[in-house]
Amino acid sequence: MTDDAGPAARLESGRALTYTSWLRSLSNPELTALFAARPDLMAPVPAGIAALAARATSKPTVLRALDQLDRFGLQVLEGLLALGDPRFSGTPEGTRREELAVALGVPCDALDAPLGQLRTTALVWDDAGLLRPIAILRDILVEPAALGPPVTALIGALPLDRLNRLAADLGLPTGYADGAPAERIGADLTRPGRIEELLAVAGDAARPVLDRMAWGPAHGSVSNAQRETSLATAVSPIDRLLALGLIIGTDDHTVALPREVALHLRDGRLFSPTEAEPPPVSGPIVDAALATRAAAGQVFTVLRSLEELLDAWTADPPGVLRNGGLGVRDLKRAAHLMDTDEAGAALLMETARAGGLIAPGSEVDGEWLPTVEYDVWRACDPARRWLWLVGAWLRSPRAAGLGRGKDARGRSRNVLGEGLDRRFAPEVRLDVLAALSSAPAGCAPDPETVSARLAWLRPRRQGAAFDELVRDTLTEAETLGLTGRFVLAPFAVTVAAEATADSFASAPSGAADSVTAARLAAELPVPLDHFLLQGDLTAVAPGPLVPALARELALAADVESTGGATVYRFSAASVRRALDAGRGAEELVELLERHSRTPLPQPLRYLVADVARQHGRLRVGTASSYLRCDDPAVLSELLSDRRATDLGLFGLAPTVVASRASRPILLDRLGELGYHPVPEAVDGSVQISHPQARRSVGRAAGSELAGPPVPGPELRMAAVRALRAGDEAETAVRHPVDTPGSEPPRSPTATTLAVLSAAARAGGRVWIGYLDSEGIASSSIVEPASVDGGYLTAYDATKAAVRRFAVHRITGVSPLDSEPAR
Amino acid sequence: MSCLIVQSDKTLLLEVDHESADECRRAIAPFAELERAPEHVHTYRVTPLALWNARAAGHDAEQVVDAFLTYSRYPVPHSLLVDIAETMGRYGRLKLLAHPVHGLALQAVDQAVLEEVVRAKKIKPMLGERVETDTVLVHPSERGNLKQALLKLGWPAEDLAGYVDGEAHPIDLAQDGWELRGYQREAAESFDAGGSGVVVLPCGAGKTIVGAAAMAMTKATTLILVTNTVSVHQWRSELLRRTSLTEDEIGEYSGTRKEIRPVTIATYQVMAARRKGVYTHLELFEARDWGLVVYDEVHLLPAPIFRMTADLQARRRLGLTATLVREDGREGDVFSLIGPKRYDTPWKEMEQQGWIAPADCVEVRVNLTESERLAYATAEPEDRYRFCSSTATKTTLVRELVARHPDERVLVIGSYIDQLDEVAAALDAPVIKGETRIKERERLFDAFRSGELNTLVVSKVANFSIDLPEAAVAIQISGSFGSRQEEAQRLGRVLRPKSDGRTARFYAVVARDTLDQDYAAHRQRFLAEQGYAYRIVDAHDVLSGNEI
Repeated sequence: MTDDAGPAARLESGRALTYTSWLRSLSNPELTALFAARPDLMAPVPAGIAALAARATSKPTVLRALDQLDRFGLQVLEGLLALGDPRFSGTPEGTRREELAVALGVPCDALDAPLGQLRTTALVWDDAGLLRPIAILRDILVEPAALGPPVTALIGALPLDRLNRLAADLGLPTGYADGAPAERIGADLTRPGRIEELLAVAGDAARPVLDRMAWGPAHGSVSNAQRETSLATAVSPIDRLLALGLIIGTDDHTVALPREVALHLRDGRLFSPTEAEPPPVSGPIVDAALATRAAAGQVFTVLRSLEELLDAWTADPPGVLRNGGLGVRDLKRAAHLMDTDEAGAALLMETARAGGLIAPGSEVDGEWLPTVEYDVWRACDPARRWLWLVGAWLRSPRAAGLGRGKDARGRSRNVLGEGLDRRFAPEVRLDVLAALSSAPAGCAPDPETVSARLAWLRPRRQGAAFDELVRDTLTEAETLGLTGRFVLAPFAVTVAAEATADSFASAPSGAADSVTAARLAAELPVPLDHFLLQGDLTAVAPGPLVPALARELALAADVESTGGATVYRFSAASVRRALDAGRGAEELVELLERHSRTPLPQPLRYLVADVARQHGRLRVGTASSYLRCDDPAVLSELLSDRRATDLGLFGLAPTVVASRASRPILLDRLGELGYHPVPEAVDGSVQISHPQARRSVGRAAGSELAGPPVPGPELRMAAVRALRAGDEAETAVRHPVDTPGSEPPRSPTATTLAVLSAAARAGGRVWIGYLDSEGIASSSIVEPASVDGGYLTAYDATKAAVRRFAVHRITGVSPLDSEPAR
Repeated sequence: MSCLIVQSDKTLLLEVDHESADECRRAIAPFAELERAPEHVHTYRVTPLALWNARAAGHDAEQVVDAFLTYSRYPVPHSLLVDIAETMGRYGRLKLLAHPVHGLALQAVDQAVLEEVVRAKKIKPMLGERVETDTVLVHPSERGNLKQALLKLGWPAEDLAGYVDGEAHPIDLAQDGWELRGYQREAAESFDAGGSGVVVLPCGAGKTIVGAAAMAMTKATTLILVTNTVSVHQWRSELLRRTSLTEDEIGEYSGTRKEIRPVTIATYQVMAARRKGVYTHLELFEARDWGLVVYDEVHLLPAPIFRMTADLQARRRLGLTATLVREDGREGDVFSLIGPKRYDTPWKEMEQQGWIAPADCVEVRVNLTESERLAYATAEPEDRYRFCSSTATKTTLVRELVARHPDERVLVIGSYIDQLDEVAAALDAPVIKGETRIKERERLFDAFRSGELNTLVVSKVANFSIDLPEAAVAIQISGSFGSRQEEAQRLGRVLRPKSDGRTARFYAVVARDTLDQDYAAHRQRFLAEQGYAYRIVDAHDVLSGNEI
């Protein structure tokens, strides 16, 4: 539905202002602001202002815009609709700001913010001081301020004989002699002071009926609501009210209270009360320092346990279920590994997926693997790593908490699987963070007060699912360390603003000058470069180690327990692992001595030497699968070892033995037999084996789950320019032109072509909106190379590739390097 | 900077060199088990059992959380604190008490818990009639089993049913020329306050005296269960020396003699002996109205005695051990049937206070000869350990080691009789093994104590409870596979404080690159975790005369 028919309105231009012409009269910054507030309007970019007007007033996008309004904004809008739409058809006539302020019972200035927002989102437009809501709102907000339809609308639906009787009872002429009876009655009922008179006629007995309907609902159930009544025959108060038109039957069982009557009964007030201010968030006060410490501790725990999990997955990845999720058993195992519960584990996994740290390996083997991004993530410092995760969490539509329930068809949902998307989840998370930050210092907000505040902020989003999401968000914030003991940590105050900044999408670890990262880094334990070695062959790092040292130590010793500290245990196998990775015994001892705060225990030194002595004593070849050893006794020992018969060993020389078994089997079995051979390269040197970390090449997650990406300011500005250009083209066609009829009329496509050709010639960049063959809208910045055969060949800067675009699919175009003519 | 670090697996790391370490240790000791005590960082573990013990001893969750917050260097994960509070909250929802009318009864503070428990399959048969909505009768014989089963369910019952006093019998400590050491008194008092429980003290720290002190506090007839006959005699002589008890008051109940006196000392072996599938000596438990049952070396308690102990829940029980590690992992049963740990202290601390001798542990690695290696590789799997641990090379080495300690009493300890005989022949020293008669054993031990005999070769019969105060050097030539407690017990042989304050020496002779070495590593881990770090030397260094 549009608020005016395009061409017809244009013919009248110069007379009454229409929605379209109001839109056209907006300045470029205002249009940009409109696109920023309602990004769905520019996907794809409308061809012109008329198209924009049509789209801006279509129901789905208006619903989306309404969802953004807080309770006061909604009350203002409902007020405008209630007051400014007496005819109940066509474009609402609008109302004045002063009237609205009186009806809402707030000072005029208080309306600045909500009206500004309504105007920015183009839900309300102004016409010579009148604030006019768009007409589609009438169908969406059916009972604004719990008010019924205006009296005109109600009466208009009545049959003629009923109208005549009503006119008679009101003392008006009947029939069509003096114009349409409905209009006459309507005019009479809305006459100032008239309702007061009629109420007096109806009598006190009728008052309770009206009072019950005054504050809504505006409809009531009455048997035989369309009964034949007149003042003369009325027996009950309902009869009298019906006879006087103070309530009007809409069908057999329902009566409605006309809007004007209700407003009169309410003394002209729209709401009781008008909720201009959000309810405060409150709760018990806790020790702020302790809370911050708890949050920082949780941050530390999250980073450590996630790293632990993904390193474990590197070696032993869990399978991807058919529905794309993770099995319950794998979830349990992960929770156990991370020393957390399943909800916590699910959240971390979903967050890792959203942050692009894990992805399904490939279609064939279907395993969840860390991605190459994970290596980038791991190289960041802890504060950045956390920022990466939290940024992903804030923007992810995945609600991990849903994983524990079942879907509408009773199938259980799986973590990382289908059915865990909630489009409004990112919005709820930002709102919850904002609510938390509005709490007084050190206050651990009561979840109910947070819910109440969100109910005010998003009145149209309420429901069980929303409440659940709010509750989950509070727990998740605690789990991720945004809050400690449910108090928003000081370092987390700025995170919402940073994570939603446009630059964040391209830099997942946050901007270089991130305040959050700096504040958080100050709270996290400083990485240590030392540990304590003990006689029981353990090393205790009494805090997080610097990454390089942690890696070296983890190579030479097994991690036994983690937490604030890390306990490593040395064993022959772990030392051998370090030697296998190319570390020398001397080097290892030197490393331990350098970083240990305590003297190197003799047994450990001996262990390293002993393993080094054995290490590489036997060498295994690939080409012919052979064994050789400088010590003939070892080989003869091996040859006579009855456990090795399955290897098909046979001696070649005193120091060389060949095998029929393949090299890996040989290596394995000899290791089992306790010989610990090393593999040998072709040239006879020792081959160093690195356990190859497995990585997925899968794309970062989240993008296909999210709605259309919110375009950045540059794109928004370009969209406005394209819109202007399109509109200019559109309007130019309809104007009488001087060129003879033989000239083909210029169309938006022609404009597009002209701009593209010009750009191709001049070598400039243009912004284009494009609908691909599947109808998916996208926008790109391209450098046109040539335009021919209905195709544009251009270098796409966003994809860094030369692409071809079908010209007829280009929805809009705008040169980027120059300001468009206005 | 504080001294405690909380790990996510609920272990606590305590930096012992930190200035507030002592204070912190005291704060966490009630609810955390000391797991490892090497030189620098001690590991405590917070287990549900430990938390419930803390509750039983009157500590609450608030106190535990407070200790964490006060001493932890890093913030403690919230979930851990919640978990601790929840776990502690489970204790005492159920109470075992003596009902004035019906006798032993299980009473619930929380109705839901009782409903869960009475429906549990394993528990149902132990319970009797439900006399009130919150009270169920318990068959008195099932008291121990019920407690054990409830513990497994995670709803430990608070046992308020009390103990029978038993037949009173006057016992006093005869402190003439000696007195209770501070820790012995603490241990005995802690036991007396708790009623039942386990005292963990290192070998040589005088566990027998703690037993005697406990008896003197209980002043009732006592049944003492020990590992073997020699130990029976040692207990007997120790009790005669330390208490007012006379010869006539102490009975011996062993394979050879069956006396039942106010204080009766019995061996596990006799108690667990069966004839035609029947435990013939079970009646000993019923023979008198025992007021106290003492279990020596409780870590060795055999399974049948466990079952019998379940029936003895109304009597006071004292467990004594140096090492509460059981190779069968039944530590939990010890806790629920004998009682919670009442006293424990790191060995090294005792050493610092001079109550046990400092010890120097050395592992000597010998190489198998080439022909031995070949034979080892071809040996049947079941013979491999025996083969490598009794290699002939060890005999040469033992001779060298004994020669290094000419003026000291040396014990050579091994598991394989052939090997012991061989070593004994090489050293020209007597052997004590399973077949050696008790009299002969005691004669040899006496000769060793008095100094007539400088070298003694013993099999595992001498693992426990043999008091050889002057033994200063022990050479272990083979062990029972990877048994940790055996290693500790053997070290214990040389830990009695020496008259001249000498350092004891403990050698473990191990064959390199064999199963022997793997098992040795496993055994030594326990001692290393008690703070006894090993040094490792090569046999050829020893044989070529280098300083060890």
